[in-house]
Amino acid sequence: MSQFLQQLINGLSLGSIYALMAVGYSLVYSILNFSNFAHGSVIMLGAYFGFYAMTLLPLPFMAALVVAAIGCGIVAVIVERIAYRPLRRRNAPGLYFIIAAMGGSIFLENLVIATIGPTFKTYPQIFASTAFKIGDVSINKLDLIMFVIAAVSLLLLVFILEKTKIGLAIRASSYSSKGATLMGVNVDKVVFVIFLLGGVLAGLAGMMFGMRFTVYPTIGIITNKSFIAAVFGGLGSLPGAVIGSVLLGMIETFAAGYVASNWRDFIAFALLIIVLVIKPSGLMGKITEDKA
Amino acid sequence: MKKVLAILLTFVLVFSMAACGGGGSDYDEGPIKIGWVGSQTGDQAVFGTCESNTIKMLIDQKNAEGGLLGRELEFVGYDVKGDVNETINATKRLVSQDKVAGIIGPNASNLAIAMAGVLTETHTAGIATVATNTKVTVNDDGTLNPYSYRVCFIDPYQGSVAASWAIDKLGYKTAAILYDISSDYAQGFRQYFVEYFEANGGKIVADESHNSGDTDFRAQLTNIKKANPDCILLPGFYKEVALIAKQARDLGIDATLLGGDGWQSETLNEMGGKAIDGSYVVNHLDDNDPAVQPLKELYRETYGQDATVELNAYMGHDAFLLLCAAIEKAGTADPEKVAEAMTQVEVQGLTGTIRMSPEDHNPAGKEAAIQQYKYKDGKVAPYFVEKYSPANPI
Repeated sequence: MSQFLQQLINGLSLGSIYALMAVGYSLVYSILNFSNFAHGSVIMLGAYFGFYAMTLLPLPFMAALVVAAIGCGIVAVIVERIAYRPLRRRNAPGLYFIIAAMGGSIFLENLVIATIGPTFKTYPQIFASTAFKIGDVSINKLDLIMFVIAAVSLLLLVFILEKTKIGLAIRASSYSSKGATLMGVNVDKVVFVIFLLGGVLAGLAGMMFGMRFTVYPTIGIITNKSFIAAVFGGLGSLPGAVIGSVLLGMIETFAAGYVASNWRDFIAFALLIIVLVIKPSGLMGKITEDKA
Repeated sequence: MKKVLAILLTFVLVFSMAACGGGGSDYDEGPIKIGWVGSQTGDQAVFGTCESNTIKMLIDQKNAEGGLLGRELEFVGYDVKGDVNETINATKRLVSQDKVAGIIGPNASNLAIAMAGVLTETHTAGIATVATNTKVTVNDDGTLNPYSYRVCFIDPYQGSVAASWAIDKLGYKTAAILYDISSDYAQGFRQYFVEYFEANGGKIVADESHNSGDTDFRAQLTNIKKANPDCILLPGFYKEVALIAKQARDLGIDATLLGGDGWQSETLNEMGGKAIDGSYVVNHLDDNDPAVQPLKELYRETYGQDATVELNAYMGHDAFLLLCAAIEKAGTADPEKVAEAMTQVEVQGLTGTIRMSPEDHNPAGKEAAIQQYKYKDGKVAPYFVEKYSPANPI
């Protein structure tokens, strides 16, 4: 039983990292209908921003978290301005956005490799790594903090989307950006806010990930899994992204824990494919013609 | 206009590539080219960067002393980013375009194995540095890769040293393993550890795996915790080791960790911290050995006092010595003749006397160094325990 609980906590903690990352993919997809692969690299930058804020400046944890969040918000907005806005102006097909996103991702990754270098960095240890124990089950403090921050920031996001005017504009644009424009919504502003929010979440996710594990330029590869989680939950749906992420974390952990560790990815992704075959829009996705 | 621009751009792209490549040259005039293949980006970047830096430094040193056969040496190296295809391309390019006398590297077994075919095809000797998998020089069916050599000992040896140390020296009875299923290195190491450990009365109580690039190992570690082993073998590289060790301690696992040469990195000492305190590793040599100090100092003089000196510096040094000796013996930079001379020379390297065995192209008769990680002065680092070799290695 204690082993089951431990695996449950392992899965939940893994899932909450995926969730923070996945929401960024879903946000952009809900408005612009393309998969923003540059998001992974922005997450990676978040890990570096946080790392340097804590080691060079050096700032306390919460301040560094704010630096990482704001830094990534700005980077995400810049990426949008440079790479996506010209395409939007010309009404380019979705495929071009994806290519631009991949280009942006590779550019940022290599920028870091060239300037900072490819070696691993480790965050200074600020939370004593001793886990606290309930019976035989141990919970890492950082995991708990991460879980709380993920939950709070996701709730804040929901608040912005549901209760503010810009949130209303975002939701309207996600139904139909043409229709929203006709109703006087400034889509440029909506896109700006979307990328800012996505970037802020990327900053939080990146710094959390970096603290939990390590910082290196190809972190972005791990975000592929969170992208898959977002698709699984239903791209464009925020609750879907969160549920998809937590489920993926759980499935991975239980497959590794109870079946065999070398079958983990096989089982996890076979399940995902089955879900997508039965329900192509993902668990909670809106029906769209082209899912990229 | 647009078409003209497109064509122009294409030309610019093509020619900028061509400008990067060098022209070919003959083997018996101009500088002798020393090829290098390794990874300066990705998981192996720490090793690759140090290795290529070392070779460059040694070439400069050799040139300052008058070169080899009265000719200058020239470094030609490619970053293959840990990728098998890039390794094959880089090897082909080194041989056909750059016309190197021989190739040093790569560091990783899977890349060295991938490269063997090209070496055989083009009759060029490759000296792997820290590629410890048996298949680098000898195939599964027992045939020799005629142009592949190495200066390090092989996985079976590391596996049996680690197992023998655990069971014969430390008296452990049960062991768990957590290894990278996609790494040839880890698979070979694991296999021979299991064989020795079980043949000598030990029991493997948990055998778990992960994929390369994974960062979360708690699911597997939870299983290992339940099996409650005396020791855990982590036959992987420093990044995974650091993450696994930390997560294991978080879960309350206090078994002794065992590892191999993949642990060697000052990055691990920093990343792993107290989680790796008390662990034992098998290594090619000890960093505090007086014999290796001159190279270490030279490296730090060249690349800055805080440059990290990895095992690859020492292995790269030995590979370089071997290649130079072979070129000297052959009297030419013709790769085929250099390869022929490879088994006829003997050099005194930093990791012992190096002589290529004609049967398996491995260096004959090396002892391993056992090191233990200890927490001293606020820092965890490996400390030399003793030179060790198991009574009957597999």
